[in-house]
Amino acid sequence: MKREINFVLNGERVSMEVRGNEILLEVLREKLGLKSPKCGCDKGDCGTCTVMINGKTVRSCLVLAAEIDKCDVLTLEGLMQGGLTPLQKSFLEHNSFQCGFCTPGVILSATELLRKNPRPDKTEIQEALSGNLCRCTGYSPIIEAIRDFSK
Amino acid sequence: MEDYKFIGKPAVRIDGKEKISGAARFVDDLDFGPGLLFAAIVESPHAHALIKNIDYAEALKLSGVVKIVTGKDFPFKFGLYMHDRYIFAQDRVRFIGEQVAAVIARDAATALEGAKLVKVQYSVLPAVLDAQGALEKETVLLHPDLGGYKHVPWFFPKAGTNIAHLRKVRKGDVDKAFSSADYVFEDTYSVPRYAHCALEVHGAVGLYDNSGRLTVWTASQSPHTQRHLFAEALAPLGLSHKDIRVITPFVGGGFGGKAGVSMEILGAALATAVKGRPVKILWSRAQEFYNTYQRQGLVARIKAGFKKDGTLLALDNTLYWDAGAYVEYGANVVNAAGLSASGPYNIPNVRIDSYCVYTNLPPGGPYRGFGYSEFLFGLESHLNEIAKKMGIDPVELRRKNAIREGDILNYGGKMNASGLLEAIDKVAQEIEWGKKVPSRDPNIATGKGFALFWKAPAMPPNAGSSAFLKFNEDGSLNILISGMEIGQGLLTVIAQIAAEVLTVPVENIRVETPDTDRNPYEWQTVASHLTWGCGKAVERAAIDARDQIFDLIERALNRKREALYLEDACVKSRSDGSFSLPLRDFVIAGIPMEDGTYRGGPIIGRGMFMPEFASAASDPETSQGGKPNVHYTVGASAVTVEIDRQTGKLRIPKVVLAVDVGRAINPDLIKGQITGGILQGIATVLYEDMRFDEKGRLINANFADYKIPTSVDIPDEVVPIIIEIPQKDGPYGARGMGEHTMIPVAPMIANAVEDALGIRIKSMPITAEKIALRLLEGKK
Amino acid sequence: MAITQEFVYLKPASLKETLALLAQHDNFAILAGGTDLIDMIKEGAVQPDVVVDIKGLASLSEIRFKGSTLDIGAGVTFTDLIESEIIKEKFPVIAECARTVGSLGIRNRATLAGNICSGVPCTDSGPVLCAYEALVLTEGPKGARKIKAEDWFIAPRKTALEKGEIVVGVRIPYPKKRHSGCWVKLRRYGGQDLAQVNLLVLAFEDGTFRISYGAVAPVPVRAKKIERMLNGQKPTPDLLEKVTRLVEEEIKPITDIRATGEYRMHLAKVMLARGVEAAMGRLDGKGPEYGKSVI
Repeated sequence: MKREINFVLNGERVSMEVRGNEILLEVLREKLGLKSPKCGCDKGDCGTCTVMINGKTVRSCLVLAAEIDKCDVLTLEGLMQGGLTPLQKSFLEHNSFQCGFCTPGVILSATELLRKNPRPDKTEIQEALSGNLCRCTGYSPIIEAIRDFSK
Repeated sequence: MEDYKFIGKPAVRIDGKEKISGAARFVDDLDFGPGLLFAAIVESPHAHALIKNIDYAEALKLSGVVKIVTGKDFPFKFGLYMHDRYIFAQDRVRFIGEQVAAVIARDAATALEGAKLVKVQYSVLPAVLDAQGALEKETVLLHPDLGGYKHVPWFFPKAGTNIAHLRKVRKGDVDKAFSSADYVFEDTYSVPRYAHCALEVHGAVGLYDNSGRLTVWTASQSPHTQRHLFAEALAPLGLSHKDIRVITPFVGGGFGGKAGVSMEILGAALATAVKGRPVKILWSRAQEFYNTYQRQGLVARIKAGFKKDGTLLALDNTLYWDAGAYVEYGANVVNAAGLSASGPYNIPNVRIDSYCVYTNLPPGGPYRGFGYSEFLFGLESHLNEIAKKMGIDPVELRRKNAIREGDILNYGGKMNASGLLEAIDKVAQEIEWGKKVPSRDPNIATGKGFALFWKAPAMPPNAGSSAFLKFNEDGSLNILISGMEIGQGLLTVIAQIAAEVLTVPVENIRVETPDTDRNPYEWQTVASHLTWGCGKAVERAAIDARDQIFDLIERALNRKREALYLEDACVKSRSDGSFSLPLRDFVIAGIPMEDGTYRGGPIIGRGMFMPEFASAASDPETSQGGKPNVHYTVGASAVTVEIDRQTGKLRIPKVVLAVDVGRAINPDLIKGQITGGILQGIATVLYEDMRFDEKGRLINANFADYKIPTSVDIPDEVVPIIIEIPQKDGPYGARGMGEHTMIPVAPMIANAVEDALGIRIKSMPITAEKIALRLLEGKK
Repeated sequence: MAITQEFVYLKPASLKETLALLAQHDNFAILAGGTDLIDMIKEGAVQPDVVVDIKGLASLSEIRFKGSTLDIGAGVTFTDLIESEIIKEKFPVIAECARTVGSLGIRNRATLAGNICSGVPCTDSGPVLCAYEALVLTEGPKGARKIKAEDWFIAPRKTALEKGEIVVGVRIPYPKKRHSGCWVKLRRYGGQDLAQVNLLVLAFEDGTFRISYGAVAPVPVRAKKIERMLNGQKPTPDLLEKVTRLVEEEIKPITDIRATGEYRMHLAKVMLARGVEAAMGRLDGKGPEYGKSVI
C-alpha cells in the first residue's frame, strides 16, 4: 500500500509515494539520486547512512521513508549548496579523510555538534562523532579539523 | 637532502574535494538504469559437507526472479597464486557462508526472498576448525585433489594432507647454535583471525552485453589482476582479456581485503547468465565478515638462543597458519611471513617452518601487514621475555641485534640500507625509554612497550607498473595509471612526482580511478609498493614527456638541449635568461614555424617499472638463493599505557612510531598512515575479537559485537617520526609504507602490559576482560 | 537490505485514534525511534502487518516536572533527556545515563519508552527506573494503568505490557530527600555499545541508598540486600568489602558474546564500590563531574 509523503529535501519541496516498508536510505539513494549517505552496515552501527531530519542527525538505514512526511531532510549535498562550507575546507586542509566513505556522515555529525556547541572541546567532539566509524584516519585529523575550525 | 618544490611538501589531496563534498562515487553509487538486476546468494549452513542436491524450482516461480545458477553452471576454478577455489561450490562446501547458488531478480528484496526458497540437501562431513586439528585429522581432507592444483612455482603443497604450502627456511645450523648458546627460550604465541572492516562492503556489477563484451565494475584494489583472474576462470566461455573490461571507482577502504578476487567473480560470472542486462551483487555487512578474505590465525612456536652478552645466535620459528577453506591468496601470506619471520634482526642461524593449513573456516587472504603483524606478535613478545630473563634492557637487546645494511637475510640475499638504528634511537628518546611514568593513582599501573618492525612487499618477481601521461591544451596533465586510490592518497603522490619532473603544479594534475581499457597495467595496489613501483613508472613517464619536450624545443627552436630546463610549467634556458615558453602553448598544438608549418604535436609520456632483479626461485628445502623481496621498510615503535588494575581497561597516553620511508613524498599522507595504522593495530589487540561457534559459524558478523575503535577510543597522542635513508631505485628515493604502521602495535602493547603489571599474555586479543581476569587469578 | 516484510504504515494523530488502531489490529508494532524495531523487522525477528508511528502524538513528547513527579512521555528521546534543563537540574544522573546510550544519531531518535519496551536485560533505562522507583504509564482497552518498574520487567524481551496497550510515559517521583547519583556502564570500548554491566547508585542525604543493576540478570535488579547493609552506615573500606561480597547474592550474570559471567561479577563489584563513592562525593559537592565515567 503506497502512501504520499511531502517533505523538504535539501531545501526543495518533494512530493512522492512510498510503500510502508521502504527505508529512507534506499529512497534517498535509489529514488532521489542522493549518493552521499552510504550503506555501511544496515544496522545503525557505523554511521555512514547519517542524514539530518529537522536538524538532528539520524541513521537513515533505521528510518522508514514514510516517517519523513512533513519533515526537513538534509544530506551533505544540501549542506553545501553554496559551495564548500568552512568546515569542509578545514577537512581538506587537515586531510581529515582517506577513503572518503565515512566522510559525509562525519561532516553531518560535526555540523550538528557545531550548531549546538560552536566551541566544543576535544572530548565533546569525540563524543559527538562516536557513532561514525572510520577505519582509515585514526580520527585525530578529523578532530583537529573541527577544533581548528571552531577556534 | 635535496629540497624539492613538490616532493616532500604538503599538497591538497587531488581527490579531496570529491570526497569531502560527497561527490566521490563508489561502486554501489553507480547507476545502471531501470534494467539493473540484483543477485542474492544461497549460502552453505555447514562448515564441511557434500552437496547432494539443489532444488530451486520453487524459487524460480517467484515473480521477479529472472535466473538461478549453481556450481553446475560454472565449474571453473580460479585463484591468484593457486587455483583451488570455485565460483560456486562444486561437489562440496568448505566453510559456513560459502556460495552454493545465486538468485538473480529484478529487485534486491525479491532476490533475497528467492534465495530463501532454494532448497539444498547436504551430507555433512566432519569439519576441522583449527590448524592443529587439520594437521592431525588426516582423514578429513579438505582438498583431496590438492596434488593436481595449478600453482606458482614457489609453493609446495603436500598432496594427501591439509598442508596447502610449506615454506621452509634453513640458514646456518640452528641445532648446533642452540647447543652452544648460553640461554635458550621457547614459548608459544597465538593470534586469532581478524576482519578488515573497511566501511565500504564488497560489491560488483557485471554486464555481458550482446556484443560479447564483459564489463565488471568492482570495489577493488586490483583491476588488472581482477581482469586476469576473470579471464582465466571464464576462458571456457570463450572470453579472453580483450573481451573483459574492469572499471574500479573510488574504494571505501581496502586494507588488502579488496585485493585479488573474492566475491567479485560472481559479478563477472552472473553477468554471463543474463546476457545483455547488468546485474549487481552487493555484500551485506555480515557477508563482508564471513565471506571475504580474513586475516589468518596463527599459532607460533618460537625458540631463541642467546649468548650471555645478548647476541641472538639462533631462532627456530614454527608457524601454523589457520588459512581457511581456500588459500589461493592466503598461501602467499604464509610464504611471505615464512621468509621473514625472524624480524629485523641479524641472526646467523635460522629455521622457519611456515605451514599453510586448510581449515573449514572462511578463506584467509591479504590483510594489511600480510602475515607480519601475526608473526611479530610472538617474536617481539618473546624477545621482551628473553630480555627480562637475561636482565638486559629490551631496547638494548634489539639495538644490539638489529639488522644492518649488507647483513645476510634469511634466504641469502642482503639487507638494504635502512634507518633501523636511527628509528630505535629516536623512538626510545621520544618515549623517554628507561624512565618509569609515575602513576597518579595506586589503582592505575603504568608501563611502556617497544617493538621493531619490518616488511617487504610480497609480490611475484614480475609485478609490473606502468603509466601514461598526457597534456591538455591548458597545460594541465592527465596521468593514467591502474594504481588504486583506496584512501592512502596514491593519486596525490603520483601527481607530486609528475609535478616535480614537469613543474606543473599538483592542482593542475588529474589522476583518475582506473579502467582496464584505458589505463595501462598495474599488478595490484597492495604490498605498500605503489609509491615505489607505480611512482617510478610515473617518474619515467614524466621524464619521457620532458625528453620529448626538450627534443622538440631543440629541433624546432634551435636551442641546445643541455641548457634547457623546466620551471613553473615553462621551458627555460640556462644560456638565455629571456627564453620562457609555457608548456600550454605547444603541448597539444605543437610549435608554429615561420613558414606556417608546425613541429611536434600532442606530447604523451610513457613509463614502466618492473624489478628485474627479483626472483622467487630458491631451494625448496632451505629457501636459499632466492631474491623474493625487493627491499624491506623498517621502523620502531613504542607506547605508554595506563591500566586500571581492577577493570583491566587500558588507556594509551602516547604512541610513537618511526618509519624509514626512503624519501617522504608527502609527509602528511605518511602521518595519515601512521595514525590510521596504529589505531588499526590497537583495535586488533584491545577490541576486535572474532568468535566462531563449535560448528564453525561466525557469530559476531556485525559491528555490534565485533568492535572497531571509535573517535573516543584513540590514544591521547600519536607522534610520527619520518626517517629518510633513500631507496636508490625508488622515485626520489622513496620506499613504500602503509601496512607497516600496524605491524608493531600488538606486541608493543603486550610488552607494555607486561611492564605495567608483570603479566605476559601470549594470545590476542588482550581485552580488558582478559587482563582483569588474569589479575584476579594472580591474586588467588 | 530491503525489508521484505510487507506492512501498512499508519500515523495516528491522537492517543484515542492510536488505541482504536491497536484494538483493530492483531499483529502491530509501535514505532517511535525505530532504532530497535526497524533492525528487528529487517532481520525478520519481528513481522508486523501494521506499523503504528506514534511520533504524531505531541502530548507524548514532553518532559514535565510537576513539583513532585517527573513525567517523561513515550516520545521523549535520549537527546531530549540530555538537553532538558529540568533533568540537568533535578535528575542529572538520568542525563548521565542517557549520554551513554548508543551514539548521537541514535539518541536523536531512540526513546526511553522504546528502550524499556524492548525489555532486553541490558536496557540502560532499566536500572534508572528501578532505582528511582518509577511507574510505567500505559493506556489500553482497560484504560490507564500505572505499573511499578520492578513489576514492568518480567523476563528477557517480556514486559508487563498487555494486548492493545501502549506505554504513554514514565513517571519518576522526585525523591523527597536531597540525592545524588552515579551511573556506571561497562562497555567493551568507549563507543556505541550495549552494556556488559550497568549500574545506577542513588545516594540520599539521610545516608540511604538505592542501587539497581542491569545486564546481570534476566531483568534489572534492585540490590535491596546491599542497600540494607549500606543504609545509614559510614562506608568504610571494611564495609564496602563486605558489601561487594553481597553482590554475588544479588546478581546472576551469564556468559554471552559480550562478556563472561566471571568478568561481569568482578566488575559489578568494582562498579558498586566506585559508584557508591562517586554518588556520595557528589552529594557533598565533591565527586567527579556528572558525565565522567568512574570505570
